[in-house]
Amino acid sequence: MNSPISNSSDVVLRTAGLTKRYGRLVAVADLDLEVRPGQVYGFLGPNGSGKTTTIAMILGLLHPDRGHVELFGMDTRPHLAHLLQRTGAVTEAPAFYPHLSARTNLRIFTMLSGGIPPRRLDEVLDLVGLLDRAGSKVRTYSLGMKQRLALAAALVHDPQLVILDEPTNGLDPAGMREVRQLIRSLGEMGKTVFVSSHLLHEVEQTCTHVGILKQGRLLAQQPVSELLREGQALELRVTDGEAAARVLGELDWVTAVTREDDRLVVQAPLPRAADISRTLAEHSIYLSELRPHENTLEEFFLEVTGAEEAS
Amino acid sequence: MLAAELLKVRGRWLPWVLWLVLVAMLALTTFAPYLDWKGDGGGFLEDFERQAFVLPWALTSILDTIQSLGSILLGIVAASLVGTEYSWGTVRSCLVRGQTRSHYLLTKLLGLSAVGLVLLATAFAVGLIFTLITTHLAGQPISLNVPDGPSLPEVPLMFLRSAYSVLPYALVAFLLAELFHSTAAGVGGGLVYVFVEGIILAILGNIGGVAADMRLFFVGHHVSAVMELNRIGSEAVDAGLVLRPQPEASDLLPPAQAAVAVAAYCLFLVSVALWLFQRRDVRS
Repeated sequence: MNSPISNSSDVVLRTAGLTKRYGRLVAVADLDLEVRPGQVYGFLGPNGSGKTTTIAMILGLLHPDRGHVELFGMDTRPHLAHLLQRTGAVTEAPAFYPHLSARTNLRIFTMLSGGIPPRRLDEVLDLVGLLDRAGSKVRTYSLGMKQRLALAAALVHDPQLVILDEPTNGLDPAGMREVRQLIRSLGEMGKTVFVSSHLLHEVEQTCTHVGILKQGRLLAQQPVSELLREGQALELRVTDGEAAARVLGELDWVTAVTREDDRLVVQAPLPRAADISRTLAEHSIYLSELRPHENTLEEFFLEVTGAEEAS
Repeated sequence: MLAAELLKVRGRWLPWVLWLVLVAMLALTTFAPYLDWKGDGGGFLEDFERQAFVLPWALTSILDTIQSLGSILLGIVAASLVGTEYSWGTVRSCLVRGQTRSHYLLTKLLGLSAVGLVLLATAFAVGLIFTLITTHLAGQPISLNVPDGPSLPEVPLMFLRSAYSVLPYALVAFLLAELFHSTAAGVGGGLVYVFVEGIILAILGNIGGVAADMRLFFVGHHVSAVMELNRIGSEAVDAGLVLRPQPEASDLLPPAQAAVAVAAYCLFLVSVALWLFQRRDVRS
C-alpha cells in the first residue's frame, strides 16, 4: 500500500487511525487519509466500503470508535464547528426543508455559516443551473435538482475545503458531466476537494489524487498521474499472437506478456518499442499496430482490490 | 441562528392549524356557558354562573384552557420541529454547516419558545375578545374591579404563568422526539404523559396520606400550584378545560416553590435532551 503520510502541517484533511464499528461489523478500520491544499482527492470504493461512514466521521456526524480527524491542521474534536465553517459538504442524500423555496433553504444554511451577501445566493444558484427555479418549493424538485441545490449549499459560503459524497447520484448524463466540470474547476480555483465515488471513470476524469477503500480499509493512496504511469506497457497487434508472446516472453527486459482479445500487452519500458519490432521481425512475425498501453484506474483498482482478496 | 430557526417554521401549516383548534376551544368554553345562561334573574346562583363568561372571572377559564390544551398542542409542535429534522435529514445539513450540537438544540428550543409564545399570546388575545363580547352581551360592565380581581398589569402576568406551565409538557414531547428521532414518538409520548399524569394525580389525591404526598414528584401538581395564582375569588366558576385534578390550595406548595420545581423539571428535560444529542451518532 502506498500511503505517504507526512508530518507537515500543510494538510487540509487528515484522518489518523479512524475506526468505526457497528457491533461486529467494522465499517472503517484504522484509516489514515491525507489531503493537501489544492488536491482533488477521489475517495474510491465499491458500495458499502465505508466511504459515507468516513465522510460522516470527518463532518462530526458520527463519533469514531478510535482515531481522530484533523481539518486545516487542527484536531476537529475541540474545534469542529469553527472548522466546518471553512468547509462545504454534500452528504449522501441531499436534505432540505421541502416546504420552503431553494433560495430560502440556502438562506437558512448561510445564516448557520455566519451569513453571506444576498447577491451570492443568486450567483451560486446560477452556477448550478437553478436560478430560474430558485423560488419553487423544494418538494417540487427532482432528485437531480436537489443534488444541484446540495452543491449550491456546499459552495455558497466559498469554503476552502469541499467534501462531496457521491455528488453525481441521481443526475442524468449531462448533469454528471456538468458536476465533473464543476469539480475540476474548483480544483483549478485552488480549492481542495474531497469527493467520494464508486465510479472509476468519474474519479479518473476529475481527480488529481485517489484513495481506494475496500471493506473499510485504505488499500492505496497516491496521485492519479503516478498510478496511470506505473507499469508502463506496450500494446500491439501481430500476425501470430501465440508465437509473438513466446518470443517476447523470453526477453529479459519484458516483465510480462498478456493477451487481451486480439492484442498483446507487453510490460516493458516504452523506449524498447523499436527492439520489440526488430525482435518480432527477426522471427518473421510482423506488427500491424504498436502503441503505448496506458494503465486505467479500473486496472489499478482491480489490481489492488484483487491483491487484497488474494491475500 | 434564531432567525434561521424561525425561517424554518415559515410556511408550515401545523402550528396555525393547532392555533385554530385552541381558538375554537376558547370560543366553546366562552360562548357555551353564555348560551346556557338564562339571564332571567339576579340571584346568587345566576351571578355565580355568569362568572364563567364574564370578565374578569372568565380570565381564569381562558388561561386554564390555554394551559391545558396548549400543553398538548405545543407538545405536537415541539415533536414536529424535532422529528421532521430527522425525517427530512436536515439535521445533518445543519450540523455540517458548523452549528454545534448544543447550539442546534438550544436554538431549536428558543425557536419553539418564540413560536409557542406567539401562538399562545394571540390565542389569549382572541379569547379576551370573546369574553369582551360575552361580557357586553350579558350587560355587564367591562371591568377588572371586583373583589380579588387582578389589576391591568397583572393580566399579562397571569398569561405568562399559563405559558410557563405549558413548557414542561412541550419539553416532554421535545425530549421523546429527540430520543426516538421521530415526530410520532414525541406526539404520542407527550399525549400519554399529559393524560396518564392527570389520572395518577387524581388517584393519589383520592388515596390521601403518603400517596397524596407522592404528587410532589409530578410536574402537574406544581403546575396546579402555579395556576392557582390565576384564580379570581375562591368560589368562581371555571368553565375552562383542565386535564388534571385541581387540589385544594392547602395541598399545594407555595407558588414560588412550585415555579422553581417546574423550572427544575424543565432543566432536567433539556439537560437529558442535550446529553443524548451530544453523545449519539446522527445517521441519515
